[in-house]
Amino acid sequence: MNTHPYLRAYMAGITVPSMVLLIVLSGFLTARYAYHVPIPIERAIVFPMALVPNIFGLWNIFYLWLRPRRHLPIGLHGAILPFILAPTGFVLGTYLGFLSATAEGLVWFGQIHVPYHYFAVGFCFALIAYYLVWKYLVGFFNEVLGIA
Amino acid sequence: MNEPEEKKLAELLKKSLTPLSPELNRDLWPRMLRRLDEQHPARSWIAALVSPAAIASVPWFDWAMLAALVVGLCLFPRSIPIWLYHF
Repeated sequence: MNTHPYLRAYMAGITVPSMVLLIVLSGFLTARYAYHVPIPIERAIVFPMALVPNIFGLWNIFYLWLRPRRHLPIGLHGAILPFILAPTGFVLGTYLGFLSATAEGLVWFGQIHVPYHYFAVGFCFALIAYYLVWKYLVGFFNEVLGIA
Repeated sequence: MNEPEEKKLAELLKKSLTPLSPELNRDLWPRMLRRLDEQHPARSWIAALVSPAAIASVPWFDWAMLAALVVGLCLFPRSIPIWLYHF
């Protein structure tokens, strides 16, 4: 009997970013309408809504495929993902016009200036966040769906 | 043993055995579910995720990393939209 493990891996992978999407959208709306940060929601939401969940799902499929060949703990596997997501988000943000690179650093939404050294620190934090999310949340959903 | 005797013996055997219905007169599945539930009480996934056992199994360095993340967000709240975009 085919138990469709890759389909379950995809479902387990997309669960966390899909749930977080509600927080993301609430955050964008609050920033725009309460704090008047000029976030172009309709363009900025494309990446977290369409791409990130799918990339999570595909990354979890890749984890399942990779496991019998070269086992990497799921937390470390997830911590590799920002190396893909950060450039993808940068390219998309630049293309959609709300992220620009200047000599001093990156400018988000025309207001938030992030010097490059802060960006490096932030990237380390992203690695930690992804490590924890994948180890505890995606790992948990993998267990629930019987593919851990 | 001749043929009439064999037939008589067969009839006697049939009479002595209580007739069995080919179908069970009750559904075993609810009992099976009840037994499974007694062995592993059903809990919601959120209860399993934040159960004391699950929280106790988290190593200290993972708590330290989580604390670092929270402190980082508190120190740089303007980075929150960037986090929201990248998650």
